Amino acid sequence: MQERLSGLFTRNNRIAVTIFVVIILAPFAYSLVRPVLTRGSSPNDVFIELPDTGECVRDTEYMRFHHMDLLKETREDVIRRGIRGDITFTGCRDCHTYRGQFCNKCHDAVTLNVDCFGCHYYPESAEDSLRLEGEGHDG
Amino acid sequence: MDRRKFLEKSGVALAGTSGVLSLPLLTSCTASSQSADSPLSGRRWGMVIDLSRCSEDCTACMDACRSENNVAFHGDERWDIHWIRRVNISPKDSEHRDEKSVLLMCNHCDNPPCAQVCPVQATYKREDGIVVVDHHRCIGCRYCMIACPYNARFFNYLENPEWPNKDFPRRSHGVAESCTFCAHRLDEGLQPACVEACRNAGHGALIFGDLNDPNSEVSRMVAEEPVKRIREDWGTEPKVFYLGL
Repeated sequence: MQERLSGLFTRNNRIAVTIFVVIILAPFAYSLVRPVLTRGSSPNDVFIELPDTGECVRDTEYMRFHHMDLLKETREDVIRRGIRGDITFTGCRDCHTYRGQFCNKCHDAVTLNVDCFGCHYYPESAEDSLRLEGEGHDG
Repeated sequence: MDRRKFLEKSGVALAGTSGVLSLPLLTSCTASSQSADSPLSGRRWGMVIDLSRCSEDCTACMDACRSENNVAFHGDERWDIHWIRRVNISPKDSEHRDEKSVLLMCNHCDNPPCAQVCPVQATYKREDGIVVVDHHRCIGCRYCMIACPYNARFFNYLENPEWPNKDFPRRSHGVAESCTFCAHRLDEGLQPACVEACRNAGHGALIFGDLNDPNSEVSRMVAEEPVKRIREDWGTEPKVFYLGL
């Protein structure tokens, strides 16, 4: 046994073992230095100008991390139980006027495709939002 | 304690604790999924279509439905979707096929075959009796279209190019849909768009209301007038009644 182990670390083998260990550890090392390398493009660094229209339905921290949970809960309430509360998609539109700024910026940064907007109307740009208001929708 | 006894005793203990621990799980499974505080409970929406007052060349209800619910119209009968449409039907036992032009829509059956076959429970009956599709959950398998005896279900083969009512979602490609009795309007206390349009057009052929409320006009008509439903013999218990069928 002792002989075998020491045989593993002969001069020739040592290089092979080192290369092997480096290859194995490379991804872990990369994930450690990645935040430094990619500073500026992580979703936490995406700058979103918050609307100045007052309070949201929940506080900012909750909305930042759990808005999808809130949307899902509300969705279940509305379509399964018929409880139409204060939280609506068109309600989001009142302050967060267009999705180019308030949805896509973060979701693009984390390469996440949301499929809300295939069915729910949400203005893509500020101009779309103004046009929607002009058409007399309450959004 | 020898090995055999130890194994026996630990087996009994394990079975006992797992049984106790799984009790709440079992009871939660059997409990009704719908909460008692739902605003829908107690209602049972239904519609009476008075064919004698319905004019054959009028399309007010269909147009209103399209613009309210963003129902797709491509101009090609393969892809067109109709939540309410005009069809010719003839009595099952008639020898001479005397066809009658009627409005056909989702009948919101009390025993909805579409909801029974839905493999993901995307189609279901709300507590107020309206049969709706949860499009978030629909996988587009089209079992409901095959199951529906009234051919009231349609599939979105294409994206809808029009979006007239931007406060209401349209349906994306790949889901089935049908009339919802304008559930979103009912929840706000309004009447369905087709009913309102029919009244505004001066016909008043569509009468809508709560079948559980004995004072509603619908209940009165169902009780007193000779109303019929399409293919009552199937036992689907539709909630769309026809006068003059």
